[in-house]
Amino acid sequence: MERTIKKMADQPTTTERFIQGILPENPVYRQLLGLCATLAVTNNMKSALTMGGAVAFVLVCANVITSLMRNLLKPHLRIVIFTLTIATFVTIADRFLAAYMYQMSKTLGPYIPLIIVNCIIICRCEVCASKQPVITAAADAVGQSIGFTLAMASLAAVREILGTGMFFGLRVLPVAWPDWVIMVLPPGAFLTFGILLGTLNWIDSLRAAGSGKK
Amino acid sequence: MTAIQMEQSFGQRLKNSNIVQAWLVLTLALLFGAALAGIQISLAPTIEANKINETRQKVPELIFGKTRALEMAAQNKNLHVTPQFIAVEKQGKKVFYNVFKADMDGKCVGWVVKTNGQGYADKIELLIGLAPDAETITGLFILDQKETPGLGNKIVTEKWRSQFIGKPTGTRLTVTKTGAVTDTEINAVTGATISSRSAINIINTAVGDLKGPLTAKAK
Amino acid sequence: MNYVIDIVLIAISAALINNFVLHYFVGICPFVGVSRRVDMAFGMGCAVTFVITIAAVLSWSITTFILIPGAPLSRWIAGFFLSAEAAAKIDLTILSYIIYIFAIASAVQFVEMYVRKFFPSLYKSFGVFLPLITTNCAILFACLMIMANIVGVDNPADAWDLGRSLVLAAFGGVGFTIAIVIMAGIREELDLCDVPKPFQGAAITLIVGGILALAFMGFTGVDSGLKKALTPEPVAQVVVSPDAGQALQLARVSKSLSVQ
Repeated sequence: MERTIKKMADQPTTTERFIQGILPENPVYRQLLGLCATLAVTNNMKSALTMGGAVAFVLVCANVITSLMRNLLKPHLRIVIFTLTIATFVTIADRFLAAYMYQMSKTLGPYIPLIIVNCIIICRCEVCASKQPVITAAADAVGQSIGFTLAMASLAAVREILGTGMFFGLRVLPVAWPDWVIMVLPPGAFLTFGILLGTLNWIDSLRAAGSGKK
Repeated sequence: MTAIQMEQSFGQRLKNSNIVQAWLVLTLALLFGAALAGIQISLAPTIEANKINETRQKVPELIFGKTRALEMAAQNKNLHVTPQFIAVEKQGKKVFYNVFKADMDGKCVGWVVKTNGQGYADKIELLIGLAPDAETITGLFILDQKETPGLGNKIVTEKWRSQFIGKPTGTRLTVTKTGAVTDTEINAVTGATISSRSAINIINTAVGDLKGPLTAKAK
Repeated sequence: MNYVIDIVLIAISAALINNFVLHYFVGICPFVGVSRRVDMAFGMGCAVTFVITIAAVLSWSITTFILIPGAPLSRWIAGFFLSAEAAAKIDLTILSYIIYIFAIASAVQFVEMYVRKFFPSLYKSFGVFLPLITTNCAILFACLMIMANIVGVDNPADAWDLGRSLVLAAFGGVGFTIAIVIMAGIREELDLCDVPKPFQGAAITLIVGGILALAFMGFTGVDSGLKKALTPEPVAQVVVSPDAGQALQLARVSKSLSVQ
């Protein structure tokens, strides 16, 4: 019994889970998960935020259900139940989008169902929800979703402003700006993300060097 | 045995019992199935309506032009739109066209043809508005395209599409790079001749195939 | 003949022009984290192609025979409980995503058993990557494209048959293999270069991927050009004068007229 208490104390608390998800353990920039969705829908801000919202919905619901069931299931069945839960919630999210935001659903196309195989959700269910109580799991889900949406928004902002001179459909750069069309095309996604990732790593190394000197 | 130890063995027993596990999975599957069935029943009509309205909303504008369509909307005058499939036999194969008939006050006021074809990159899907006797094109709308943004993409702009209003359907339309002079010439988008030509080819094919059947139906 | 042209175009489009990795962004996780050895990448590509093909066959069969409204199997079973008309309207497409993901999981299990039995050394070198193929977006994406071409068409006669679906899936896998093999080859060379520290690892891989995507963009328009070259024109394109053009037009339409 002492061993059990010690194991539980090793796991992060609710607030820790929440804060970790936003920047330190950002799912896109640090864990490099969910890249398919990130690169595909960040053509413009609206799509990026809609995708972020959909992932948030699925992540929170899946985490909560998994956490509720964590003590009842054999390890072998865990994967089956995860998959079933995630697929159900993604279907619900997809139908909702098709009913109430039809144009956006057409733009996002097959990338909403691809949330099912989005590594972020499976990873969070496996790492956090199957081991910790509901509130912690929910906080973890919310934190990770905020991190994911922030990451996508950063990428989308760069691509939309440089690629079309607009932000959320409103003109931001002067009309004389020659649109860098490559930014809204696939190569632009790769290049922008690579450069942003490298920049973030560089900032991190500067900060580590700065605190190391102290 | 203490109370905590008894609880633990109950949970362990649940985990180890295969029957309980099977029932658990089944219950969960049924719950999810019920949720999905509920979603299907409540949302399917809305989604269907969305799909149909996507085309229907465009019909007044395609037949009467933007200004008159807005006037009609303000006066709450509505068109009665009936979708139908028209089959045309080409080279031994039957090709189906999705055609919408627009009636106002019982009289046919125009046709809208939904067709698609190969563009420069992937398919272009468009709506063509035709006069009741199918002699002139009254409007064009691009529903779906994946052309190059900033270049071929410009076929969706109103400026390019408005060139088609009033064009006759008797002859095939051709694309020119410089100023269009005759009645059957269309200016290509600068730097996107292939996208322009693809769109015009799709229109030519559809109009050429359907002109006869539609004229016959209007009588 | 038209069917063969269609198949060839779908194949080229899936493998090169609309490459799954470099155009549709699916299958990025193994692409970025791929082994730095070309032979491992090739093995992974082959495994994914194998799984995609099996999964595509499964999902096409299930969609066509069970899920879409009016599908034979569901209509027959529902016919025992409901009237014939109501049975023909049963629409199970809401279950499609769940069914696809389980079909993919089964396909991966099947491939795993097959590889373990017949290629034990390969199985050992794959390690944990084989079950991980279940979460590869490319496979689910292929199933979704097939579904879009069955469920999303206005005219039921245009729905894709097994041949087209199989070709899309198989050549999508081939395109995936091409992309990751090229990437593995480049990474082998990158190991010998002096990459700045912040960019080592994922960042430089993504930038190289971007340049690759740029190169593959050169294939755009090949399919429309090929289609034009291979498809015979229905009638002479030459328009002599407005009257002659009209005569040609009328002749063609009246010859091929069959009104519903």
